[in-house]
Amino acid sequence: MKALERHRRMTETWASDPGFKGWFSTVSHTDLGRMFLVTAFFFFLVGGILAMLIRAQLATPHSAFAGPEIYNQLFTMHGTIMMFLFAIPTFEGLAVYLLPKMLGTRDLAFPRLTAYGYWCYVFGGSMLLFSMLFGIAPDGGWFMYPPLTGPLYSPGINTDFWLIGITFVEISAIAAAAEITVSILKYRAPGMSLDKMPIFAWYALVTALMILTGFPPLILGSVLLEVERAFGLPFFQAELGGDSLLWQHLFWLFGHPEVYIIFLPAAGVISTVLPVMCRTTLLGYGWIVAAAVALAFLSFGLWVHHMFTTGIPHMGLAFFSAASTLVAVPTGVQIFAWIGTMWKGRPDLRLPMLHILGFFITFVIGGLTGVMVAVVPFDWQAHDTAFVTAHLHYVLFGGFVFPILAGLYYWLPHFTGRLRFFRLGELAFVLIFVGFHVTFLAMHWVGLLGQRRRISTYQPEDGWTVINLISSIGGFVVALGIGIVIIEVILHAVAARRSARNPWGAGSLEWAMLTPAPAYNFASLPHVTSRNPLADNPDLAVELAQGKGYLAAPSRWRETLTVEVASGKPDYHVIYPGNTRLPIVMSAVTGIFFLSLLVKFYWTVPVAVIGVAVLAWRWVWELGRKDDLPAQSIGHDVELPNTVAVDHAPGWWGSLFLLTANATFFGSLIFGFAFLWTVAPGWPPPVWFEPSAIELGLGILGGLVAVVAMRLALRANDRARSPLPMLGVAFAGTLAVAAACGLLMLRTPAPAEHAYGATLLVMGGYGLFHAALVSLMVVFLIARVSRGFTSPVRRAEFPIVVLWTDYLALVGAFTLLAAHLTGYLA
Amino acid sequence: MTDILRILISPLVWLASFSAVYGLHGLICGHGIEGDVLGFPLQRVLMVAAYAAAILLQVMLVAGLSAQRFSSPSAFVRFVSRVTAWVGLVATVWSLLPVVTTTYCL
Repeated sequence: MKALERHRRMTETWASDPGFKGWFSTVSHTDLGRMFLVTAFFFFLVGGILAMLIRAQLATPHSAFAGPEIYNQLFTMHGTIMMFLFAIPTFEGLAVYLLPKMLGTRDLAFPRLTAYGYWCYVFGGSMLLFSMLFGIAPDGGWFMYPPLTGPLYSPGINTDFWLIGITFVEISAIAAAAEITVSILKYRAPGMSLDKMPIFAWYALVTALMILTGFPPLILGSVLLEVERAFGLPFFQAELGGDSLLWQHLFWLFGHPEVYIIFLPAAGVISTVLPVMCRTTLLGYGWIVAAAVALAFLSFGLWVHHMFTTGIPHMGLAFFSAASTLVAVPTGVQIFAWIGTMWKGRPDLRLPMLHILGFFITFVIGGLTGVMVAVVPFDWQAHDTAFVTAHLHYVLFGGFVFPILAGLYYWLPHFTGRLRFFRLGELAFVLIFVGFHVTFLAMHWVGLLGQRRRISTYQPEDGWTVINLISSIGGFVVALGIGIVIIEVILHAVAARRSARNPWGAGSLEWAMLTPAPAYNFASLPHVTSRNPLADNPDLAVELAQGKGYLAAPSRWRETLTVEVASGKPDYHVIYPGNTRLPIVMSAVTGIFFLSLLVKFYWTVPVAVIGVAVLAWRWVWELGRKDDLPAQSIGHDVELPNTVAVDHAPGWWGSLFLLTANATFFGSLIFGFAFLWTVAPGWPPPVWFEPSAIELGLGILGGLVAVVAMRLALRANDRARSPLPMLGVAFAGTLAVAAACGLLMLRTPAPAEHAYGATLLVMGGYGLFHAALVSLMVVFLIARVSRGFTSPVRRAEFPIVVLWTDYLALVGAFTLLAAHLTGYLA
Repeated sequence: MTDILRILISPLVWLASFSAVYGLHGLICGHGIEGDVLGFPLQRVLMVAAYAAAILLQVMLVAGLSAQRFSSPSAFVRFVSRVTAWVGLVATVWSLLPVVTTTYCL
């Protein structure tokens, strides 16, 4: 078959629906990656406009530009948008667009999940924008500390928009993180072992794992604060056994890793683009991988350094101060590896390289001021001043925006298939670089002179007037630079000349395809033997188009393959679902759930929950087959079993990482319980939970029965016997867990009167929710078995339900033990 | 997946032990645990014992990941997992050093 014919037939199978309607049904990672990036850039512009309004307000003392109420909304929304609606989604968009192309495959692991995540992001972000347009935006600062954001001091709907909107958006982050993790571990070109993975994939893997473990504490905090605001459960009220410091712990357990979640993908861009700009290969690949892993873990041990002024004992402060200084070491390893790469190569000062140099200067300064605020006595002086604001902008703008601009200009020919023609980017770089340093060096200075962060005005006699004016002028220069970038990108997309296939002479696989990328990425999948396959074989793109790789025969299915995690040896054949509007419909129904909570119209909450359950049922049901698929040939005399016939199908891997995030959420809840009990004033509670050996035994035994029965059902299916009886027993086991958790909730001592009862109620609710979820899964499996969707060969769905049942048994036991044992101890 | 675990295990153990020692510190100060063991304050003894256990665990991981029996067949994974093992050890010694150098509940 000729390459053109293969291209046409592949396109028929893989193309999204044509026209405007195709946006709503596409599950293509290329489309969704672009949509993520465009939407994130839109939010960047909104956040940027808010920054200009802040700078206009602070340019002069006694400014009447915005009153304190509006000003509070401006800085809160600026931080919120930049953190949650720009930085994280930009990483998601970049990873969604690039990873399958860099890894030599055709799509991500769960294409419909990508679409669902995108629409959750759009709807959640829209809620926050809506609040701003109507003047009811969140106004408690982007880290939303109670008691300021509690029901007493913020009674309006503003804070609810933040708590509910951000939680909605975080579904998108968790979905993308699970997807990215599974895709990198399993969806790679044959031969691509761990040591041959593109460095960006390593960074994306580390970042995705950080999102899975970093975001759940914030989701928990948001749930608890919203429950406190809506129903009066006093998690953060000291007089009722709560503690506002619990919020700070939960927030910064997320918040500090968040900084590295933002930085690491940008470092991945640097590590990818820099060697190409220097016409060499990356120095110290292994060291960089180890440094990224180290940085990720160390970043989880720093959260208290945002709380140095809260009265924590000296030893506690010293732990976090020491860990904070340590984090400079792996960062330094990466910086020196990049300097070594430049030294080894022949740097070419093209536009992406200019932004990389901007990154170096800015980020190193930000890192050094970071070491300054890691030192406790200095932090006591600088805390909550403009110095800290300036430091975080050096880290985030330097460590994210400059690298992303480098990446934008580097991959623009890939997005559009065109070469940059208008040379406006160099001017834009100069304006952004100079404007940024004018703005934020001045802000360091005024912070050291004592200007508090978040103040809406100041007095002329404070002596900050000239510095603030300089800072504001610098801010507007940055805005001018960003405006020129937008103009150039638009001109580029509509008027630049066509580009050759690999304009930068890069060695990574994303350039071994047509640009703009076809819907299927590669007509046949490459066999990878090095880290720079395209540099080793410049004819690779042509050979793949001619069908010399794997899965070259066009099929009516969207096909790809997975590999063993470490070796890159092909292991399973995969068939993807096609275009569907299910993700946008399900995210809209999810939105109804959040909207109902926001406007406190609780009657529609169960309707939305049932709606999501029905849609989720249909989502999974569509994947089934009623016949056994024989091993599929992928070319080169290799045959692979389909994923319906294996123990660890993609759904199992996805569940594993979703449960990792879930376990972090549960662990944070247990931490919260222990923290309140140990540290919060107002303990012991007036009434303890009345323990019951029967309820405790019922729940633990029910979980154990479900675990054993699910394994026996799996074994029965393997031996061609009916698994239905054992599935019935497993269902009964999950109901027993549900009953024990439900009784715990019913008998909890008045939850609105003390944080002890409130925490037990939430823990019981968590157990009950999971029991209901696993019950639904077991019922689903019973329906699948009854309708002939399973056989001894088609067995992949059993291990997934086994995994969830195990998790239920574990968290059910923990929950019940925590509640009943505290009762016994009391 | 075993190779990924080899790379992650030492920093993961550091994170767990760091949190555990911080939690123990919270318990000691929050519940006013007092007393002495062989003339040494009980609080300090408990903290130093936890610190020593954390270091011992990391030393065992460095040794294990350096031994042929537990290390990866892939040279790359072997290298990265040994570097991260040393990261875990150094991070444990350094970040928990205040256990032996500062006051505990002031």
